[in-house]
Amino acid sequence: MPYYIGDVIKDEKRLIARTPEKFRETGIDVRIDTRVEEIDPKARRVHLAGGETLPYDILVLGTGTKPILPGIPGEEREGVFTLKKLSDALRIKAWLKNVPCRKVIIVGAGFIGMEMSDVIRGLGIETQVFHRGTLPVHRWDPEFSKTVLAELERHQVGFVTGVEVRAVEEGKKYRLRLVTNRGEDEADMILIAVGIRPETELARRMGLPLGKNGAIRVNFSQRTPEEGVYAVGDCAESFHRVSRDWVNIPLGDIANKQGRVAGRNIGGGSAVFPGIVGSQCFKVFDLEVAATGLTEREAADSGFRPVSTLIWGNSIAGSMPGNKKLGLKLVADRATGKLLGAQAVGGAGAVSRINTLACALWSELTLDDLGWLDLAYSPPVASAWDPIHVAAQQLRRQI
Amino acid sequence: MGKQVVIVGAGAGGASVAAEAKRQDPSLEIVMVEERSQVSVAA
Repeated sequence: MPYYIGDVIKDEKRLIARTPEKFRETGIDVRIDTRVEEIDPKARRVHLAGGETLPYDILVLGTGTKPILPGIPGEEREGVFTLKKLSDALRIKAWLKNVPCRKVIIVGAGFIGMEMSDVIRGLGIETQVFHRGTLPVHRWDPEFSKTVLAELERHQVGFVTGVEVRAVEEGKKYRLRLVTNRGEDEADMILIAVGIRPETELARRMGLPLGKNGAIRVNFSQRTPEEGVYAVGDCAESFHRVSRDWVNIPLGDIANKQGRVAGRNIGGGSAVFPGIVGSQCFKVFDLEVAATGLTEREAADSGFRPVSTLIWGNSIAGSMPGNKKLGLKLVADRATGKLLGAQAVGGAGAVSRINTLACALWSELTLDDLGWLDLAYSPPVASAWDPIHVAAQQLRRQI
Repeated sequence: MGKQVVIVGAGAGGASVAAEAKRQDPSLEIVMVEERSQVSVAA
């Protein structure tokens, strides 16, 4: 959706994988603009707003997430947005164009904040990110989030740290005024992107157990403990193959897979969702930022004895023009030498390294395996000693 | 009559369930309920 807002994707229809009409053609009844009021698991009935009741043999909850709002006066004002639904994207795009917007403040420095700062700045609009902490994207180590910050600065995106938002008021020079602990700032649009949480209100009311992360508990076939009830996607837990714990990482690719698994089981087949390793990435301007597995802190919390190294290697042959340094951090278990996690930041190639390392986590490779892995090499696109080799061998020596 | 399946939410997860379940067993009677105006949106 950020790329639709930034006009990289011109037509909103391209964001819709399958229309209600397409579903109906296959014999699936689709009710849009329809809210579920209540679910009665004893009677196996779903009560819709407007009074209609749907009986079920099998129920699936795919209720997604809801954006977290700071709960400050004025946050409902026109021009203050969150980005969750397609309708949000449509409204933001129209607002940016029609108001027209001269300046945007983004509150929050996570994935959405970074992607949106990229696309809004790309439209030539003055952009500022207001962040509670000191560095963007806390999933990454400070050395890498400093690289992200430098990329924002290189593209004239303002970054204001230590901000607590207090209120949104009517502006003078611009449409809106944002009051914070650091004073007052004005903009024509404010985007709130401070996080999301699983939407589990219906699940909770029907008595389904929730995990410590607030998501609906499921097993490997996406079944909840309630007979005949499944849950999939951002509202459900996933098994983390590295920490061996149930987690909630709300990402569309995971939702697709869990949905397919549940669908196959509902249709009488047999499928298992084998879990995740926590791979994620985003792009901000010319930088790819990616991670997989556990951070050192998470590894320690999961009972491992993590060791780590951080290197700046060559993404292509060092002798080639256009070679850019690629930052790679590996975390491994001192006891077994197995990889536990990785982070990468750089131009083209950071995501591909993380995808390689996601396979390593999936199949529990050790640093010895990674240090000698047969990776494709050619000077304009790869380095003979890939950053993966360099980091793995370096970290192996520390154990 | 086939089994009645009700899917609450037609985002990536719910829409995938509907498509795959129907592919697996065309006799299923599937209703997908979505409070928004669009289904199956790529975020």
